[in-house]
Amino acid sequence: MELSAIALHLDLHLAVRAFELLLGFSLALQCLEYLRIPALDRVNDWAILRLEIPARPAVVRALLDVLLTPRNHRVLIVLRLVLAIGLMSGGLGLAGAVLLFLIALVLLLRWRGAFNGGSDFMTLVGLTGLLIAHLVGAFAGMETGWRAGLWYIALQSLTSYFMSGWVKLLHPSWRSGRALPQFLDTGIYGPLAPCSVYRKPWLARAISWSFTVWEGLFPLALLDVRLAALFCAVASAFHFLVFRFFGLNRFFWAWMTTYPAILWCAGQSLT
Amino acid sequence: MNRFTLITLALIGVYFVWLALFGLRKHRHLVQGPWLFFFRAFFPNWKFYHAAGKAPRLYARAQATDGVWGAWQRVYARMPYRTHHVLHNPVVNLALNHQNLVDHLWSDVQDLPEGADIRERATYQLVTRLAHEAVRGGRWGQVPMLPAALPDARHFQFELRMDALLETEGLPASSELVLQSPVLPSWN
Repeated sequence: MELSAIALHLDLHLAVRAFELLLGFSLALQCLEYLRIPALDRVNDWAILRLEIPARPAVVRALLDVLLTPRNHRVLIVLRLVLAIGLMSGGLGLAGAVLLFLIALVLLLRWRGAFNGGSDFMTLVGLTGLLIAHLVGAFAGMETGWRAGLWYIALQSLTSYFMSGWVKLLHPSWRSGRALPQFLDTGIYGPLAPCSVYRKPWLARAISWSFTVWEGLFPLALLDVRLAALFCAVASAFHFLVFRFFGLNRFFWAWMTTYPAILWCAGQSLT
Repeated sequence: MNRFTLITLALIGVYFVWLALFGLRKHRHLVQGPWLFFFRAFFPNWKFYHAAGKAPRLYARAQATDGVWGAWQRVYARMPYRTHHVLHNPVVNLALNHQNLVDHLWSDVQDLPEGADIRERATYQLVTRLAHEAVRGGRWGQVPMLPAALPDARHFQFELRMDALLETEGLPASSELVLQSPVLPSWN
């Protein structure tokens, strides 16, 4: 094994700690935002949202009515924040993982399946990985549990890049580069300036091909830990740019959470 | 690389080949049923910003106390960029959530069964609240939802349109009406 590869090779303990820190941090940021939202939002009224909850089993809607009163919702978010801090400190066990998962389910029901789309999906991947680790760990030992959890998270994350990249490449508007300035114009921090370099057709085409092919090839990261480190470094910059144009800060942190799992799984081919 | 690692990598390779062959196809209504809608996060398709062309947009107008209707205005968030938003961004995330409601209303209109009333859908009722909030001078943080709101509007109306993403001087290249609400009384 070359020296540079050894330096990048994450041992299981380190990968788990990095994952717990990043997931805990991401959850904490979300909680602080959730605590601000009720004072800002006069649209998402639970009295309307609750009508969409299926009538049967009746206990679900009744339970949600109790859990999602303004006061109880706040308590739930504060509890999630405390659990997130516990996760960052490394002291969260099976009960904590189960609670975090259950709170995530309540939030999915509160926000019609997602408050913020993909970031909620990837956060759920992280929480499911955490739950798998602790559930499997309770029966087969924590090392086996974390191996299962990290593989689950890595495969989901790699799938997200793979799908996102190849789906775009199937569209002529992405292949020609036309889609890039159109979407950037719709960004919440947009529109692009009239003289923006992203409006140059040759540059838009080059950028579109670069990042869609890069996304589509992301599963190759598993072949070598150095390749994985490179893919993850580029991905961090990519997600920051997505935040820069579209305001999707939660995406940035939700995907960062998965990189320790990708690096660790890539490192397994070295052993 | 030992044999176990090779087998693992081969299986992962098969998984991605399977995804390429079947996962990339268009699957409308892949996840159906009320519970599956709420828990679709367990079956994400990971297709973001994949189809350029058109997108649903909300427009609203208000009637002043003298009975004169204002112009139709687009309810679409534009915010000043701040780097620290990467750590805390509730206002922008709320604005994005509101646009998601508009997208979901469009989806509900497309899927509406024969004889069903869109006004009974939660998305319609929530978008009604969004339009009302906008015409009455609502804000996303410090940013007004509409450039020219009418806080004392007596009535309001909203439209759901399919706008081309391609714009010239702030105007979409095409704008197709999908749904127009009746004239609605405003409330306090």
